[in-house]
Amino acid sequence: MRRDQMTPLERLAAYGAGAPIDRLPCVPIVGNTAARVIGVKVGDFRGNGALIAEAQVAAYRLFGYDIIRIFTDLYTHAEAMGAKVSYPEDETAFLAAPAIADLSQIDRLRPADPYRDGNLPQHLEAMRRAVDQVGDEVAVTGAVTCPFTNASFLVGADKLARLMMRSPETVHHLCEISLQTNIAYAGAIIDAGCTPSLTDAMSSMSVISPRQFREFSFPYLKRLIDYIHGRDRKVTLHICGKTSGIWDAMVEAGADCLSIDNDADLGEAREAVGDRVRLMGNVHPSEVMLQGTPETVRRATLACLAQAKDTPRGFIVASGCSLPTETPFANIHAMLDTVRDAGWPVRC
Amino acid sequence: MSQIEQELFQRLSDAVVDMDEDEAVAAANEVVERGIDAYRAIELGLSAGMERAGQLFDEEEYFIPELLMCSDAMYAGMDVLKPHLRSDGVSEKHKVVIGVVEGDTHDIGKNLVKIMLETSGFDVTDLGRDIPPARFVETAKEIGANIIALSTLMTTTMEGMGAVVRQLSEEGIRDRFKVIVGGGPISQGFADRIGADGYAVNAADAIRLARSLVAPAEAAA
Repeated sequence: MRRDQMTPLERLAAYGAGAPIDRLPCVPIVGNTAARVIGVKVGDFRGNGALIAEAQVAAYRLFGYDIIRIFTDLYTHAEAMGAKVSYPEDETAFLAAPAIADLSQIDRLRPADPYRDGNLPQHLEAMRRAVDQVGDEVAVTGAVTCPFTNASFLVGADKLARLMMRSPETVHHLCEISLQTNIAYAGAIIDAGCTPSLTDAMSSMSVISPRQFREFSFPYLKRLIDYIHGRDRKVTLHICGKTSGIWDAMVEAGADCLSIDNDADLGEAREAVGDRVRLMGNVHPSEVMLQGTPETVRRATLACLAQAKDTPRGFIVASGCSLPTETPFANIHAMLDTVRDAGWPVRC
Repeated sequence: MSQIEQELFQRLSDAVVDMDEDEAVAAANEVVERGIDAYRAIELGLSAGMERAGQLFDEEEYFIPELLMCSDAMYAGMDVLKPHLRSDGVSEKHKVVIGVVEGDTHDIGKNLVKIMLETSGFDVTDLGRDIPPARFVETAKEIGANIIALSTLMTTTMEGMGAVVRQLSEEGIRDRFKVIVGGGPISQGFADRIGADGYAVNAADAIRLARSLVAPAEAAA
């Protein structure tokens, strides 16, 4: 098997410039699986930026993928704005209660201070430490939960969905304060020497219509991306589930790279927007990466390569969404090894 | 069916599709005032409307916000009609226990399946979210459920579904219940692996699955 000849930073820079590379960039999106790499419990990450950094750097060194993403769960911003988050001892955190139980409390909501509120300071600490340790060879990103998705955690997803029909201005208000949190946090991420990585689970066509995306999600996403571009960083945008009807809007919002979920078709995405943005995706995180074997991972990775390797604006081989915590290491190695074997120009 | 019945059932159905709670309540009140059979008004009016809404969801005309608003209209009409249901003549409903497994609180998907199951004439006990495996089993035994329906959006909580099936087997009551699973990370392969009776990719599919699972039992009885 071939070995990497370039560091991730060298590879991405050369790829972006159209220069020769040793292999395509590859990003199995490792989140809490990093805990398994250093043998700690997922719950230990709570309030412990040093441990998150140690785990993420160790996972990067073990697998050799191309982007480190500081991420534990989607709820860090909402928690910093008052939502209750449950932390199982050794599993991914989940939302126990939205920030406000009743709309009469809506005036209590304030944008979060990333240096003070919730676990945001510890996530920033993790980013600074990761950059200190490996920032000269690999890009470190920090996960940002985008305005519409964060708004759903402030009042609850059912309630937000009904408010879209009954009180659109309330939804806009919730997205606006979420955007203020996002911009403050994105700024802090950039100040830490990292790049914001945008994730917007609820903006999916699996939840809302393309028209509703335009009305409630797009304006805030665009302003967030404009801010990040103003700080001279490129933007990767991940929206979960079905997205074919909003790819154009995602591009129009300014994203430089679309991370395509396994519920969407990578080949179609290449046809539709591959001449305008880079794509990444979309090996199935649970069916293939968690439950498959190295051989099924190899076949799924080759299928992604076949669909998108010649994307005009570039392609990053990736999982369709964050990997489940218990994803076998052999499967993560298998994704990287398949991309290494395919080499450059890609043979598959 | 008389002309007036037909018109009222159509109004109920349209009120659901149009997400119009007030109209659903008004039409339901008229059903009651005219002494029209409440059960038929639910089945041929409100439920029929919810099925049309489900169809629009399948066709990507409606999305989750619209479906939730439709269901609000359906339940508003239902609240008016339910006290007027005659207990005779209403056949025994198949019972379902539904919930989101422990460690997960994403419940929109579960709620949609619940709504569509109720629309299709199932008697649904909703345990809510973040539910330990043992509670599904206890409740299923308690109410004599036909089906246990498990939902999760998170890969971290998928294993809880396997735990429900295992507990049923350990107690020697596996064959008394059909177990169905669904949610983002779930696949037919996963359902087979944990020994579930079925997997559904969305709410409409869940209804087809539930119906097919209770049908053979009916034929045998």
